[in-house]
Amino acid sequence: MFSEQAAQRAHTLLSPPSASNATFARVPVSTYNNSSQPFRLGERSFSRQYAHIYATRLLQMRPFLVSRAQQHWGDGVQIKKLCELQPGEKCCVVGTLFKAMPLQPSILREISEEHNLLPQPPRSKYIHPDDQLVLEDELQRIKLEGSIDASKLVTGTVLAVLGSVRDSGKFLVEDHCFAELAPQKPAPTLDTDRFVLLVSGLGLGGGGGESLLGTQLLVDVVTGQLGDEGEQCSAAHVSRVILAGNLLSHNTQSRDSINKAKYLTKKTQAASVEAVKMLDEILLQLSASVPVDVMPGEFDPTNYTLPQQPLHPCMFPLATAYSTLQLVTNPYQATIDGVRFLGTSGQNVSDIFRYSSMEDHLEILEWTLRIRHISPTAPDTLGCYPFYKNDPFIFLDCPHVYFCGNTPQFGSKIFRGPEDQRVLLVAVPDFSTTQTACLVNLRSLACQPISFSGFGAEDEDLGGLGLSP
Amino acid sequence: MADQLYLENIDEFVTDQNKIVTYKWLSYTLGVHVNQAKQMLYDYVERKRKENSGAQLHVTYLVSGSLIQNGHSCHKVAVVREDKLEAVKSKLAVTASIHVYSIQKAMLKDSGPLFNTDYDILKSNLQNCSKFSAIQCAAAVPRAPAESSSSEKFEQSNLQVSSETPANHELTTNGHSPPTSKQILQQPKGIMGMFASKAVSKTQDVNKETKTETKEVSSVGNKAPGKGNVMSNFFGKAAMNKLKVNLDSEQAVKEEKIVEQPPVSVTEPKLAVPTGLKKSSKKAEPVKMQQKEKKSNRGKRVELSDDETKETENLKKKRRRIKLPESDSSEDEVIADSPGDYEAESPSPPPPPSPPPEPVPKTEQEPPSVKSSSGEKRKRKRVLKSKTFVDEEGCIVTEKVYESESCTDSEEELKMKTSSIHRPSTMTVKKEPKEERKGPKKGTAALGKANRQVSITGFFQRK
Repeated sequence: MFSEQAAQRAHTLLSPPSASNATFARVPVSTYNNSSQPFRLGERSFSRQYAHIYATRLLQMRPFLVSRAQQHWGDGVQIKKLCELQPGEKCCVVGTLFKAMPLQPSILREISEEHNLLPQPPRSKYIHPDDQLVLEDELQRIKLEGSIDASKLVTGTVLAVLGSVRDSGKFLVEDHCFAELAPQKPAPTLDTDRFVLLVSGLGLGGGGGESLLGTQLLVDVVTGQLGDEGEQCSAAHVSRVILAGNLLSHNTQSRDSINKAKYLTKKTQAASVEAVKMLDEILLQLSASVPVDVMPGEFDPTNYTLPQQPLHPCMFPLATAYSTLQLVTNPYQATIDGVRFLGTSGQNVSDIFRYSSMEDHLEILEWTLRIRHISPTAPDTLGCYPFYKNDPFIFLDCPHVYFCGNTPQFGSKIFRGPEDQRVLLVAVPDFSTTQTACLVNLRSLACQPISFSGFGAEDEDLGGLGLSP
Repeated sequence: MADQLYLENIDEFVTDQNKIVTYKWLSYTLGVHVNQAKQMLYDYVERKRKENSGAQLHVTYLVSGSLIQNGHSCHKVAVVREDKLEAVKSKLAVTASIHVYSIQKAMLKDSGPLFNTDYDILKSNLQNCSKFSAIQCAAAVPRAPAESSSSEKFEQSNLQVSSETPANHELTTNGHSPPTSKQILQQPKGIMGMFASKAVSKTQDVNKETKTETKEVSSVGNKAPGKGNVMSNFFGKAAMNKLKVNLDSEQAVKEEKIVEQPPVSVTEPKLAVPTGLKKSSKKAEPVKMQQKEKKSNRGKRVELSDDETKETENLKKKRRRIKLPESDSSEDEVIADSPGDYEAESPSPPPPPSPPPEPVPKTEQEPPSVKSSSGEKRKRKRVLKSKTFVDEEGCIVTEKVYESESCTDSEEELKMKTSSIHRPSTMTVKKEPKEERKGPKKGTAALGKANRQVSITGFFQRK
């Protein structure tokens, strides 16, 4: 691990100045391939309906589910479409789930005057015991009941259900299965330790100064200014830094210009201007020393709908001078030194969190991997571009490292798939609150959190460092 | 000794200047490797404490290492005060590094000032932020200026174009002077006629004065044979002398000087007037001044055209293209010359418009100084004049030269409007009696109405 390797060298800094000081060369990039092309949007047209994305999603996922169903329930299982169903006959149906939630915010209900409803306050979860599951395929839809847990599932999931139609017109489910993991290419074997640093939620412009020192310490560790020689040597093995979204804080999103009178806001600058300047300086420091990939997040100045397009380089005049700075999409996938990375800035996971009973972000991350779709709630409750030719959020092959940013706390797990796939799941915590980043070791596919702290007036029991007993 | 130098430096920083000396700050200030800076700090602390155990020194350390937390081995990096150092060290399973982070005289309550110190020194060294770092990245090479400055080049070219355009403006205006003078002749007549009719309606002294003056002028103007005469026609009696003087001097470089030599206030109104003049010769006093200006300007322009036809031709063409797109109203000219140069022209409008509103006095003063020189000053003079010409009303002036035939009314209207705008700016002109100021405004208003109310279809005819 990073620490152990760092500790191997002798401590030299608590001594008088020595004649020469070691300088380490950053490990060169051996192979890097950005495969986020499916997430780049060229000409955008919003004149289409969103039904097409569901149609293509089902079309693309159907073969995967059919093969899984046959694996699970035998080759003899009958795969039928909803229109072909006979009452009482046991068969398997492949379709898209829809969850009817009474608590789901609906704009139509809000503005409808006959209900006289006040706008709902935002809740952390919109699930309700009365949520109903409906299975839809190309032509029909049918209500589901039985041994299927409605609270865990969300709208937009494509799955296969085994059961039979009741006389009531509902489908009684006996078993269900997901598409599970896609095929995976084997991970390469590396001879030296190489690290990739994953950070998310820098939250600049947030007003609170506590995280600024942490951010500076992070940059100093990566650029090799901080620490003893051992640590600097290990830091030189960090071959890449990925900033996974929410570089700007939620506070920079305040829309004073909309709420306040114009004469009050005429000469005020948007809060994001200062924050972007700070970000530019940080990116300059980083890109002068290490290749950086910057993904946009929920509060960053780019488009709202998924897939989010890269931030514009004109915002970073200082940092774009270096070719090591790369502005990438959200979601982002790339092959770094032969290891396939795929990750998002966390909007997909937090949206599923709101509409399902799953509590742990890492668990949700694993679940999205199992249903073979990055964000199933995409057009329903999460903004998405109206694709019609194909759904780019379907996993066509399985990554080695799958991460999502801006989770409340750090989480990391190795997940094994049915065909011996091995995926490292990383829930990258929000840096502005946790001061924690993630170091992924490409050789061993392990992840170590790295956290930073300063000291404050109240730190009597080292609580801030998390070192209290 | 070199060794002791850094000790003295640190001593000075900490005790005398009461600074917070972080390793990064020291590294940038002394220009040493970060690790060496850390060692220097440690050395200083040790020595100082040996010499004087009661030394007022507070030290913060950086500790990093791993710790088992929630089942993970978490790497911690922390800045701690000296008194907490041992406690933190004991908690870590593996200690990766310890070194001095900063030295300061006063006890720090929290780590905020440390961050500020580092941030400040970083800001001033942004371009070589990894110079003293322990890691050097071969791939982090700033893009070659050629690549990154493609946008800068565009900007530079714009700036160059904008700097050229003012010069070009002058030449073009100068080049256009002959035709415009003729056009102006016709316009004033019509204007004068209209003005006269409108002036009658006003009972104010000013109007009467202007009316009489215009009548005189118009009467004189009717006889107008040559340019100079024509010019003088527009001017009132009082201005005749000056006009004559101007006319006489126009032929020579000195002429311009002379023209400029008269009180600056005179020049001021003149310069101010050109703008107004160009727009509408209807205004009495303003008209006078305008006429004066016009005359002088035209004269100069004529001179220019006479003297520097060749020189100005190319420039004219260039300028035309550049200038024309600038002016909003010079659509015809733009189309005629080169619509494509709009972008090139775009930077130039800002410079021209900006001078006119304010620096009417300034511009006026410029010609005098310029005219004091000889020969080449003509160019400058002309340039300047044309500048002001343009500045005051953008390309309206040139428009006039070009298109007196096509859109007299619109130009006059514009002139009137612009001249009314410039009226306030010319208030500083000493020469102008206040009556004149009042007169012009009213005159412009009346003239404006006169223009607009000629006929319902007049609106379309103007175009």
